[in-house]
Amino acid sequence: MSTTTTTPRSDSRIRTFQHAWLLLALVAVVTVALVRVVTGADQLTATGTLRAMILSACPILLAALGGLWAERAGVVNIGLEGQMLLGTWGAAFLAYHAGPYAGVLGAAAMGLLGALLHAVATVTFGVDHIVSGVAVNIIGLGAIGFLAKAYFNDLEGGGPRNLSGYQTLPRVTVPGVSDGAAWLADRHVFGISDVAALVAAATTGVSLLTVLVVVLVAASAYILWRTPFGLRLRSCGEAPEAAETLGVNVIRYKYVAVLVSGALAGLGGAYLTMVSSSSFTVGQTNGTGYIGLAAMIFGNWRPGGIVTASLMFGYTDGVSLLPSGGIVVHALLLLITLVLAALALWRLRQGNLRSALTIGVIAVAVLVWYLSTDSVPRAFVGMTPYVITLFVLAVASQRLRMPAADGKPYRKGQAG
Amino acid sequence: MTAPAAAVVLTGIGKRFPGVVANHDVDVSIRPGTVHALIGENGAGKSTLMKILYGVQAPDDGTITVDGETVTFSSPTDAIARGIGMVFQHFMLADNLTVLENVVLGAEKLHGIGGGARREIRAISERFGFGLDPDVLVETLGVAARQRIEILKVLYRGARIIILDEPTAVLVPQEVDALFENLRVLVAAGNSVLFISHKLDEVLAISDDITVMRRGTTVGTADPATATRLQLAELMIGEELPSPETTESTVTDVAQLQLKGVSVFASDGREVLQGIDLTIHRGEVLGIAGVEGNGQAELVEAVMGMRTLSGGTIHLGTEDISGWSNRRVREAGVGYVPEDRHRHGLLLDAPLWENRILGHQTRKPNVRGLFVDRKGARRDTDRIVGSYDVRTPSIDTTARALSGGNQQKLIVGREMSGDPVLLIAAHPTRGVDVGAQAAIWDHVRTARHEGLAVLLISADLDELIGLSDRIEVILRGRLVGEFDPRRVTAQELGSAMTGGGEAA
Repeated sequence: MSTTTTTPRSDSRIRTFQHAWLLLALVAVVTVALVRVVTGADQLTATGTLRAMILSACPILLAALGGLWAERAGVVNIGLEGQMLLGTWGAAFLAYHAGPYAGVLGAAAMGLLGALLHAVATVTFGVDHIVSGVAVNIIGLGAIGFLAKAYFNDLEGGGPRNLSGYQTLPRVTVPGVSDGAAWLADRHVFGISDVAALVAAATTGVSLLTVLVVVLVAASAYILWRTPFGLRLRSCGEAPEAAETLGVNVIRYKYVAVLVSGALAGLGGAYLTMVSSSSFTVGQTNGTGYIGLAAMIFGNWRPGGIVTASLMFGYTDGVSLLPSGGIVVHALLLLITLVLAALALWRLRQGNLRSALTIGVIAVAVLVWYLSTDSVPRAFVGMTPYVITLFVLAVASQRLRMPAADGKPYRKGQAG
Repeated sequence: MTAPAAAVVLTGIGKRFPGVVANHDVDVSIRPGTVHALIGENGAGKSTLMKILYGVQAPDDGTITVDGETVTFSSPTDAIARGIGMVFQHFMLADNLTVLENVVLGAEKLHGIGGGARREIRAISERFGFGLDPDVLVETLGVAARQRIEILKVLYRGARIIILDEPTAVLVPQEVDALFENLRVLVAAGNSVLFISHKLDEVLAISDDITVMRRGTTVGTADPATATRLQLAELMIGEELPSPETTESTVTDVAQLQLKGVSVFASDGREVLQGIDLTIHRGEVLGIAGVEGNGQAELVEAVMGMRTLSGGTIHLGTEDISGWSNRRVREAGVGYVPEDRHRHGLLLDAPLWENRILGHQTRKPNVRGLFVDRKGARRDTDRIVGSYDVRTPSIDTTARALSGGNQQKLIVGREMSGDPVLLIAAHPTRGVDVGAQAAIWDHVRTARHEGLAVLLISADLDELIGLSDRIEVILRGRLVGEFDPRRVTAQELGSAMTGGGEAA
């Protein structure tokens, strides 16, 4: 038998890559801990804050993951928001009548339905992806408005635009780890407590749906990058004509990708109605689908990046809902100053003076804001996730690499 | 019975599209272990024939026989299963995937997508001397390496009959030699190669058999051992081969375009042009030779005002045009034949007369005051169609319906109108048939005689040598040598282009 021979080069490349991630995580923990100690805002990494982060991040992550599937196959799915909306209704309807697990399935099915509409329009009929996606969003909102009125109005706990009183999913706590981590988190030890708080948040009273999110992310990464199916799917987003000449049924893969995308977005809707809250309201996604799309872009169309971006957006989103939000966001200003300063230095080293100067000036402005106030106004706290989204995309967009044929119409038989 | 059965026999192939007969009565027989050349002008039906053989399109008439068995292909998958592989003229590769991923795509069942596939790719690469690393991203590789990936892709699927569609169009002479070396090894191993080209020297150099196509059908075969260029050319077009040679020099000493120390950064911060100094005089054709991607496109875009200079100045005549907008540069009398006519030169779905207005939308005869002068534009389009021999049913036909040669003649005609003082021609005859090529060369020569300055960028070294008064070689964003086209050979240029030799 021959032994597996891997080149030392690709091997060391993978190792450097893993080292880089570890280093980055370490730097992040130290920086955050530093900011916590300097500002004295212990809520910055309190278990409660991080639990809010996870609760907010999961629906964003599901939407982003859905976006990843579709865009890797070359279809821009801006209809994620609409598919999520459909998911919220599907979850509520089936959870009410058939229990929480049926609710999860119902959400995925409704999201899939929305995605089917998008797939037929974009893949079969070559409609512009943005136009079709926006249409799906509008239809999604309209449809659940109608469906809620038709089916929820006469239910106990229901109304023309809302429904409550259904069962939600069970929650799990990892015994031992949860308590230990919580104890450690309360000690406020530099660095260690911050990590412990994250462990505590991730092991205490976690909904089964959150566990499913983790599984789905890992499964998506494996399927898309480690299986022939995934390679084919990605090839449809990179060079569909090339894929066609090699016998890949591009249309079929695009359909599968968009349908999976919709199902994931639908699950995001289920998360909102069954985990983030325990009731359904028309329009409760509140732009989560769009934030998910932004997280996918900021995550550079890669699973690791998407998780990071979703957690970041989830953090700011979660914090804005907490009573201590003003103080935490105020502490965040210092963190932002540090990040901006680092970015400015990096740009300076690249020789890009103008960009370095611009970022430097913004850093100083944020620092002045931090030093001259004690808390950030409520209105701004609510704005934080969107401002961060915009800012991050503005800074990072030049380094992002989208699939080469993303959003481009494809017609069979164009090859050669 | 003849001794070795033919690998592939095409008999009486016919293919009709609405309004056009692309192929009729095509007969080709390919012997195993040979390079079989298929030559013909653009539009002679070679590409359609190849698509039929590769299963992309189904023939209306005729039969295909592979290894003595009659077959019908409904998709490339069927052709691949029969051992037929195709390397398209426009490479079918995903830049953002690795060599390995590009190769195994669609054939994952053979060796998986991991270690087994990696070993197999290394083995093929070594056997035929391809020198490819399976884990490299395709976007980092040059044209010649990409072509080898395409061939590897075909071999990986076990193809024994390999179709190469104009494989040398994008290569420099040294790369062509290397490719031919690879092909000889392939053929020696018992594979057959179907080599499509209209470069007759190359065909004579590599092939064992030649089949000639004209107007959709095969018009004859030739033996490369005895046939001459001239005979092949006559078979192809029924007339003598045109040559790009210019006769007497018309160079004046009035500088028309002057670049001093021009530098340009790409968006990723790389310096794609570094300190370019060049001067073109009235009545002079300056040729730029270089492997694609060494700064030619950026040079053109810098002059055309499509890129911001990070240093240096550009003068048109006596005026400093650095920093001018594209429209201002054009209005100052610069004509531009873009590198990719589909992306930059034409609105494919617009009629010819609207295309005539493009880039001249502020000038007579296309506008009167604020409004488009339809009558004027149409009249002038008629003039271009007439004097540039653009073959089209009408000026209301969309540009897409024209063949590549006729599209290019329309662009050249448009850019020559309004009495330009400088013409920038990027690959003016790429993908253009012999007849149109000769016509375009004639127009450039005539205009040069009348004092036009021309910046000519071309991958066709014969064209550069024949048409230019002076040749500059560009390598990694610098001009690395100046050559006299009357004395330089394509080999010398090729070696300067790849950094192999120092400029004389």
